[in-house]
Amino acid sequence: MIRRQLMEFVKKEFLIMFRDKQTILLLFIMPVALIVFMTLALKGVYADRINERQIHLAIENESKSPKANLLEEKIKSHKLIQRIDLPQGMDRDRIFEYGKADALVVIPKGFDEGTQPVEIYFDPVFDPGYKIAVRSLMTSLTVEVVMGIDNLDAVVANLIVEKTKQNRDIPSPLQQTVPAYAIFAMFFIAIPMSIGFLKEKNEGTLQRLFTYTVSANTVALGKIIPYYIINIIQFLLMMLVGVYIAPYIVGSSFQTGNHFWYFIPVTLVVAAATTGFGVLVAALAKTPEQCPTLAATGAILMGVLGGIMVPYFVMPMVMKKLAMISPIFWAHQAYLDVFLRDAAFSTILPKLAVLTLFALACFFIAGRRIKWM
Amino acid sequence: MKALEISAITFSYNSPADKSAAGGNEYALRNFSMSVEKGKIHALLGPNGAGKTTLMKIITGVLRGYSGEVVILGNKMPDNRALVSTGCAPQTISLYMTLTARENLRFFGAMANLSDEQIAKRSEEVLAQTGLAEHADKLVVTYSGGMQRRLNLAVALLHAPKLLLLDEPTVGVDPQSRHNIYETLNRLNASGMTILLSTHIMEEAARFCSSATLADRGKVIYDGLMCEIDNLEKFFLEKTGRGLRDD
Repeated sequence: MIRRQLMEFVKKEFLIMFRDKQTILLLFIMPVALIVFMTLALKGVYADRINERQIHLAIENESKSPKANLLEEKIKSHKLIQRIDLPQGMDRDRIFEYGKADALVVIPKGFDEGTQPVEIYFDPVFDPGYKIAVRSLMTSLTVEVVMGIDNLDAVVANLIVEKTKQNRDIPSPLQQTVPAYAIFAMFFIAIPMSIGFLKEKNEGTLQRLFTYTVSANTVALGKIIPYYIINIIQFLLMMLVGVYIAPYIVGSSFQTGNHFWYFIPVTLVVAAATTGFGVLVAALAKTPEQCPTLAATGAILMGVLGGIMVPYFVMPMVMKKLAMISPIFWAHQAYLDVFLRDAAFSTILPKLAVLTLFALACFFIAGRRIKWM
Repeated sequence: MKALEISAITFSYNSPADKSAAGGNEYALRNFSMSVEKGKIHALLGPNGAGKTTLMKIITGVLRGYSGEVVILGNKMPDNRALVSTGCAPQTISLYMTLTARENLRFFGAMANLSDEQIAKRSEEVLAQTGLAEHADKLVVTYSGGMQRRLNLAVALLHAPKLLLLDEPTVGVDPQSRHNIYETLNRLNASGMTILLSTHIMEEAARFCSSATLADRGKVIYDGLMCEIDNLEKFFLEKTGRGLRDD
């Protein structure tokens, strides 16, 4: 009997929700758009922290001697360098105002004779780390040309061995945004959930339910279960977009990790936290008009703190500590554990415990505050 | 036999904290008693604030925390058998606006524990009774006020209740819809259904009801047969006064 009533609740909520275009836009279209656009935007902001970035370099070869030409050729052909051609007759001092070069290398007359050194000019706002890299590269290439060495790296190969550990902490833009905006959108379920509840309360349908042999627990579950299911569908859809569609648009792939199926318990717990948040908003709001403000403000604040808009790993230490008060942080880190870090389930478990506590706290507060009539 | 017996109901919306803070209590209903004979249409009359809607909510089990007793067809509330034998059409249109009439009936039918077959059969019947059969698959939000009011009634009739509670069933409807609603109620009453009708429209109460309870400020001020009253509107104003009730 109760199961059938719950089934009808789910059907009813689904019908109401899927007939509301704004809700579809909010819960499904918005996160897809955010995943695509934020991935593209983040590529520019921090992709060079993961992948080698090409430095935009202008070269002025005043010498034109064979060695100078060789040096110019070596610089141009290096994988880290993207040569920039500057407009004819542009004053050297104005090169960085032009905005396309990170640095300028001048090979002066007299370079062959060793009377004039190679000059490097940097854009004043150029990252200091890259300055060191460019200076080091120019030193190596100049030494190769002056000493007649074909490949300095090969010469020092026995002296210096570079070993890069596979990155497990910094997500690629797509790895960051797919779970991030899926969670973000899941928290937005609080808007239709709370509005629906308060509208039913104001319009009398909720009261009408209590004129039947329906218990308050059945009504409560009937309001929660449909949104819980929608949350899970949301996440699965975002995953499909992340794995199968977004790579074609943003040009990088989404890794699902070696323990892909850990995402199931994580999603079940995250969905409990997000529906808990929805119930809390429904309990705190007094009118349906208050619901979007409360829910959106809450979700955005939790998102900002939780490393959704600004990735956690680029946050300053103070913000990293503050992030821990946001359930979105724990949810995002749990997904990064699964997809990025191949973490053991015991590593993920504490994050799920925090999210479960958050969900229980929401349901507890809502249970004490909510007025059915 | 009585279809509905209400004995000494006292109820206040104030919480215990409010009561102590205010140093007293404001009662929505005070020692309220009335009864409705089986198979009759009984009017529940009173100005705004008389306690009519509160009483309806108590009868249907929506409001708890009252003292006194409500017995429906021999079952003392709260009781599932009493709820199953009662149908209620609230004053506000309590329907899901973005569902169709049929979808609303299906949902409320399931809440009333009707089987799928019963829901399908009864839906057709109540849609025909209320003149909505042709519009059954349209969203309720597209309905006129009168159609929504009729669907509100159809939902209350779906599980074939023995006692029907109607709170202002004709508010804001056109004469055609009003006529349809009262035709339906007369037919249902003729087939044995007991109806408790709360209304402000004296002419309707006098025409369709065989007995009446007049309430004011939470108390019963008249309970008797309609035929004992010459002019109901005059009687109402004499008993409840001519002053406005905006508080």
